[in-house]
Amino acid sequence: MASIAVEGLTKRFGSVLAVDDLSFTVQQGTVTGFLGPNGAGKTTTLRMLLGLVRPSSGRALVNGSPYHDLPDPMRTVGAVLESSGFHPARSARNHLRAVAAVDGISDERVDEVLELVGLSADAERHVGGYSMGMRQRLELARALLGDPEVLILDEPANGLDPQGIAWLRGFLRWLAEEGRVVLISSHLLAEAAQTVDDVIVLNHGRMAGHGPLDELRRGATATVRVRTPDAERLTALLSAAGTKAVRVGDVVEAAGTTPEAVGRTMADHGVVVLEMTTSGESLEQLFFDLTSGAPSPDGFTQPAPAGTTSGMPS
Amino acid sequence: MTRLLRSEVLKLRTVWSTWVLLGVAAALTGALSVVIGFVPRNRHDVSVVFPARGAVGWYDVVFSVMTVAIDLALVLGVIMITGENRHKTITSTFLAQPRRGWVATSKLFTALGAGLVVAAVAGAVSLIFGYGAVAGGLGSSGRMLTEFRHVWPGVAAACVLFAAYGVGLGAILKNQVVALVVGLGATAIVEPILVAAVPSVGRWLPSEVAQALESVTARPEVRGAFGSGLSHLVTWWEGALVLLAYGVALVAAGSFTTLRADVT
Repeated sequence: MASIAVEGLTKRFGSVLAVDDLSFTVQQGTVTGFLGPNGAGKTTTLRMLLGLVRPSSGRALVNGSPYHDLPDPMRTVGAVLESSGFHPARSARNHLRAVAAVDGISDERVDEVLELVGLSADAERHVGGYSMGMRQRLELARALLGDPEVLILDEPANGLDPQGIAWLRGFLRWLAEEGRVVLISSHLLAEAAQTVDDVIVLNHGRMAGHGPLDELRRGATATVRVRTPDAERLTALLSAAGTKAVRVGDVVEAAGTTPEAVGRTMADHGVVVLEMTTSGESLEQLFFDLTSGAPSPDGFTQPAPAGTTSGMPS
Repeated sequence: MTRLLRSEVLKLRTVWSTWVLLGVAAALTGALSVVIGFVPRNRHDVSVVFPARGAVGWYDVVFSVMTVAIDLALVLGVIMITGENRHKTITSTFLAQPRRGWVATSKLFTALGAGLVVAAVAGAVSLIFGYGAVAGGLGSSGRMLTEFRHVWPGVAAACVLFAAYGVGLGAILKNQVVALVVGLGATAIVEPILVAAVPSVGRWLPSEVAQALESVTARPEVRGAFGSGLSHLVTWWEGALVLLAYGVALVAAGSFTTLRADVT
């Protein structure tokens, strides 16, 4: 079964610790968002997975093997990387043909993937004249040459116009529905949220949290207001449970929690509810909180203490 | 390895720089042939015997301009590998074939063929010039071809091995400009100085070794017409082995150093 596994992965560039003891797994049939602010270590991690950067310690495995040990890497993994380049004077088709030749992939397949990403009409043009969006599509075409079961995409939406982004979303969803493993990095949670099933959040090279996006989304409803005759008691109960709660008259405002958690506390202690509302916190704010070290929502896992490993639920 | 070679040949064929280099090889060979063969000169100014126009040995001297192809073969070898870093295509190359030593080896083998193509272009232009000169009444085609055979095989061998040496330089130096400056600068400036200062060491340097190859089939009276003389040169087979060793050793060294570096 196709999979990606990262075990205790660490990368140090001189005195800079780019990736710090990172562990996670990604399983078949899911689109997993690999999220974090710029400089969080996402690209370095992906490059270690792809054998382009040598880990200082730990392992990065695709289908149980390091990338350089895969018998047919292009037929196993397709990768789109931000900084990979093109010879400006070479046509898109010839660029793909040169790459395809390494794995004995036919020119017919080259034409197929060009068609798939919508570049057939421009296939004979020099890549030097391509827009950023067209280059991204060409990168995606290269990644698909070997019809791989694992796709690793580093900020694939960069440079795409809104139409291109919408196309990419549908395309990634189609790939996942075909049972492939898709790992996609982004520094924009709101953008990734429209595509991914699971998220791994990275900050300063370390795991800041991971889990299903739905859990994160549920946790995004963060401020719960309850009108109750037992306002003082509820405030005390929530505070005792570690929730930041403030009483204003007969209303209790509980921040950084969920309606489920507040409702359960009230039910357990027989608190009478007159009215309960929630106000939304954006996914972006939650993402910001996560990468600032704030507690994560229920069902969304933050990293275990240093020295232990963690993994995505499969 | 066959697939890698096919990919490398495709890369070479599909960029303009390869065709420009071959065009330059053709243009320089043609232009220099005309200059060497037909521009009037004071025969007292040349330090070696310079045969009269059309006389025995004249084609030997004119065809020696094919040696310009050797530097162009070096340039082709250098850009074959450094171009990947310059245009960042090295990422897709290493994604397709993560065994980097194999990639470097395939470039080395491809360079051997590319060097031969450069030599073939220079040879073709020389032959066109030769047949033109024969048609103009300068000697016979038989003598012209004999003298062509004195020069071209050595030049071709030097081109083949200099292209491989260029890949080696590119493998170890990575940066295209630096590799070209070092390769061409060493040939034009550093090596002649070393040869003059310490001939016993200098004769093992790439340009001198290449000259040994060029000279193998040349007539004794015109050997080294544009070089620093021949008495110090190594034998042709020593030259071939040493030049090949330069390419292989540099590629091997590059495989364990620069080519192992992180691609970021």
